[in-house]
Amino acid sequence: MPVNVLSSRRRFGSLRRWGLCASGAVIVALAGCATPPPASQPDALADFRETNDPLEPTNRVFYAVNNGIDTVLLRPAAVAYRYVVPETIRSHTHNVLTNLGMPVQLIDDMFAAKPRRAGDTLMRLLINSTIGVAGVFDVATDWGWPDHESDAGMTLALWGISEGPYLFLPILGPSNPRDATGFGVDVAISPSTWVGQGTVVNAINYSRLGLGALDARSQVLDSLDKIKEQALDPYATIRSLYRQHRQSTIDDAQADEQATVPAWFPATPIPPNGAAKP
Amino acid sequence: MTGYTKLIGQTPVSQGFSGNPMGRRTVLAAGCSLALAFALPAAAAEPSVSQATDFVDRTGHELMTAVNGPGTTKDKGAALQTIIDRAVDVNTIGRFCLGRFWRQATPQQQKDYIDLFHRVLVQNITGKVGEYEGVSLVVNRAAPREDGIAVTTTVTRPNSAPNRVDWLVSNESGSLRIIDVIAEGTSLRLTQRNDYTAYLGRNNNDVQALIDALKKQASGA
Repeated sequence: MPVNVLSSRRRFGSLRRWGLCASGAVIVALAGCATPPPASQPDALADFRETNDPLEPTNRVFYAVNNGIDTVLLRPAAVAYRYVVPETIRSHTHNVLTNLGMPVQLIDDMFAAKPRRAGDTLMRLLINSTIGVAGVFDVATDWGWPDHESDAGMTLALWGISEGPYLFLPILGPSNPRDATGFGVDVAISPSTWVGQGTVVNAINYSRLGLGALDARSQVLDSLDKIKEQALDPYATIRSLYRQHRQSTIDDAQADEQATVPAWFPATPIPPNGAAKP
Repeated sequence: MTGYTKLIGQTPVSQGFSGNPMGRRTVLAAGCSLALAFALPAAAAEPSVSQATDFVDRTGHELMTAVNGPGTTKDKGAALQTIIDRAVDVNTIGRFCLGRFWRQATPQQQKDYIDLFHRVLVQNITGKVGEYEGVSLVVNRAAPREDGIAVTTTVTRPNSAPNRVDWLVSNESGSLRIIDVIAEGTSLRLTQRNDYTAYLGRNNNDVQALIDALKKQASGA
């Protein structure tokens, strides 16, 4: 279920809690390593290094498992969701789920030292939770506070931490050590991880989990179908798309240097961050 | 580049400069060696930013007209193919996608591959026509990159957030053409190259295996 491959947003919602356990399990399971080509084949060796997927055999197993779960469970559910639920309701559901992710996004923006982005997120949370009726309507975008992508993995990237080798995680799909760590951090700092217990809270969390999965999967229905239909090696294509998309959102965040101080304040040049290119 | 253009402009050869691509090549070659001799930056026939912007604006709107038009899916596909053939540098993209294996391929394999690449590309693009309607495109800005000019546009589809699409255009084929499309930061040709490289890696790096797979794809629809 590589749902976040092409999606322009991280939409997992409370799928995350599962993910935390899953990422723990995968670290134990990471046994199969790919053998690098011999030094007598410099081109093949260069390819191997560029691909940066030393755990490819294991990753491909998880890809196959996720793909199986997706084919029998998630994709049909997403198709049904799209077929049964009207567009308007799906889009409002998406807004609510996005709004529930805003507190975590706010913390990520702050730790990324992006005050203007954090300001956007805070305004979105305040406006959409109140005037937008608990996030049903995305009023903030129309009022000049558009959404952006942000998560702890991106924050780590902006701190200069490189992505590391490619990982394909059970349930979660494409990732890498940095983004998997970021995912764990986001779960840990999410209010829903800490707030309350009992039947009602559990019901809300599970609904959010289920709806989040449906919403995320239905958003990439066509893209993922196309990839599987047109790619000769869908695993490699998803790997490539994930990395490029991640890098581009990190670059966007890095380049986002909106002025936060009055025009008369002396500008200090910000040194380029050392986030490594894949 | 400007210095080198100026240099050509001052030579009498530039009198016969209009239109004939062979003549232009020769002049450019001469210009390049002159440029090298004077240690000027020897950029190949790079299009200007405004040329690239106009080109993408024009081609983009042709594409939108074809996609949003009233005809059947088949008509739309035919219209798209005409635009692709004229505006997309399929040979350059195909060579890029094969990467280092281009050199390993025999001339016959290269020819077969390019033919098939062309067919599969057109098939993949025209196959999507049905799902796009009411698409609009706005050109934002353009910036030179090492392999061409990147023109940034915003493509909007009904009921979805606007997407950033960059079009990389170059003069490499002799006329202004698209050599890459970068949608939301993901490059079409790079993704394709990674796909092919992975497929080849799992098939003993045998170019013929890739050609056979493409044949299957081309006949599949």
